[in-house]
Amino acid sequence: MASEKPDRDTVLDVTDFLYREALALDERRYRDWLDHLADDARYVVPLRVTREGQADWEVSPTSRIFDDDKRTLTLRVERLETDFAWAEQPPSRTRHYVTNIVADPGERADELLVSSNCLIYRSRGDSIEPNFYSIARKDTIRRVDGGLLLARRYAVIDQSVINGHNLSILL
Amino acid sequence: MATRPIGSGAEAELERIREGVPHGRFPAHVFNDQEIFDVEQERVFAKAWCFLAHESEIPNRGDYVTRYIANNNLIVARAESGEIHASLNMCRHRGNMMCKSEMGNASHFRCSYHGWVYKNSGELVGVPYMKEGYEGRLDKRDWGLIKVRTETYAGLVFGTLDPNAPPLDEYLGGFQFYLDLYLKQGSSGSEVHGPPDHWVTETDWKIAAENFSGDGYHTPVAHQFGFNLGYFASSGSTHSQGWAASIPGRGHGIGLGHTPGFPPFAGFPEELADEMRRSLSPEQVEVFSQTRTAVGTVFPNLSFLMQPFSIVPGEAGVRFVTMRLYHPIGPGRTEMYSWCLVPKDASEEYKREAYRAYTLAFAQAGTFEQDDLENWARVTRSAGSNMARDVEFPYVMGMDSVPDPDFPGPGHVVKPYVNDSNFRNLWSRWSDYMTGRE
Repeated sequence: MASEKPDRDTVLDVTDFLYREALALDERRYRDWLDHLADDARYVVPLRVTREGQADWEVSPTSRIFDDDKRTLTLRVERLETDFAWAEQPPSRTRHYVTNIVADPGERADELLVSSNCLIYRSRGDSIEPNFYSIARKDTIRRVDGGLLLARRYAVIDQSVINGHNLSILL
Repeated sequence: MATRPIGSGAEAELERIREGVPHGRFPAHVFNDQEIFDVEQERVFAKAWCFLAHESEIPNRGDYVTRYIANNNLIVARAESGEIHASLNMCRHRGNMMCKSEMGNASHFRCSYHGWVYKNSGELVGVPYMKEGYEGRLDKRDWGLIKVRTETYAGLVFGTLDPNAPPLDEYLGGFQFYLDLYLKQGSSGSEVHGPPDHWVTETDWKIAAENFSGDGYHTPVAHQFGFNLGYFASSGSTHSQGWAASIPGRGHGIGLGHTPGFPPFAGFPEELADEMRRSLSPEQVEVFSQTRTAVGTVFPNLSFLMQPFSIVPGEAGVRFVTMRLYHPIGPGRTEMYSWCLVPKDASEEYKREAYRAYTLAFAQAGTFEQDDLENWARVTRSAGSNMARDVEFPYVMGMDSVPDPDFPGPGHVVKPYVNDSNFRNLWSRWSDYMTGRE
């Protein structure tokens, strides 16, 4: 495991990568978004539970809201490409605000462990009440020829009881 | 619990609704109506057996979860004796909440206001300054947490606020036959995979309860993508096949969807299917071996769904079970709890696969789930509009269906699967409660 802090150029590359990945989602370019993922990517959103401060865990070690890989994320995208993905007809308007990016060396020499905060604003139809999702991400970002790829996303929503009648967007 | 009287006009309206149900008519406005919600809280949720938890959520002594009956927050705990107790989550001294978390483990609960201490079974055991302050005027035996009556069936813990409610077995009234498909997967039974998904929906609980009591009709349209892309083992041309089974007078109902040529118990690992063939009754095996989808509701707040989902188009896929609890928090607003149930003794590999199929299809971000909630939010919104006050919905499908004489399961069982029979039974039961005939 490399122990040196990533250099400034690397941090800038990672920041640019996360911004572009978020832009693909917000512009609903789902196939472009899939291209940001490594073929062996894992996409995990664990369940948060309200527990006492002394509890051994408050983010469930086993329960998942999303437990996806590139195959199942592609399935979700294929679904969105049909005319009857009713949850997204008409589509949600989302804006991913990605901040507090901290890049550290990852487990592999070609990987970085990247923490970021992500606030998602989601507007549906004519509703004036948006959904907000405040999310702590721990991403693994891999260096490949010609750029970066998301190898793992582990995104924890801060709420234990989620608002929004469905979760038909990607985090 | 004392019930507040309502006006005679409202009583007459509820009688009218009740009379319409056997004729296949039910009003739209009940799905989003403050007055209906208020009456339901007292007449349905404070009287019926409400689902609270699965025993596998609290396997060890001291384990607890907090859940609701109506707007009452309850602690459901496994006491040191191993018994399950449900108590109102309110200190008897000044009413503070005892447990502020959703789950945990504690032999005792200590109030964070003045420090009264209770055993997890609800008995008051500690009062600060007992001698100096109360001078012998407080008998601890009189001031335990308020108890809620509980009973269990095959791991399900139910509670009722009505001391006169019939025993749970009688309340379920034979629906256990069908519940076993979800609860007795393998000889050691089923367990929750983990804590539940928990989210707030702009949906009335009744829309979800009805849908889960056997709405095979919506599937080819609402979940068209699954058919179209081949991820769901059914087709539009045969999807009406199967049975609608309900327990008359009890409100419980289940839809049993059948796909011609779908191999018996397909989607379960072979050893688990063999175990079910042995551990279930021959009648249950006969019913379940013809079942692709089993979607049922225990009146009022508990539902289940078992179906396969495949990530390889055209294949049978993996069967999973989701269990739902509806907690109404306002007219047209419901807190959803959703668990994945897995067979306790199944391989870790199957549990993992079943759980992934659940998250992909029916957890809160599940591809099927998303579409349901979108539709239900619109139904709820429409039901709250002024013009909807005079609108009734037709519940006349299968009105002339005669019971299937060859079907080995209990209750009123009709073909095809696409049927309003279960819903008429559900709304009859609801109307019974709403008019004080429970």
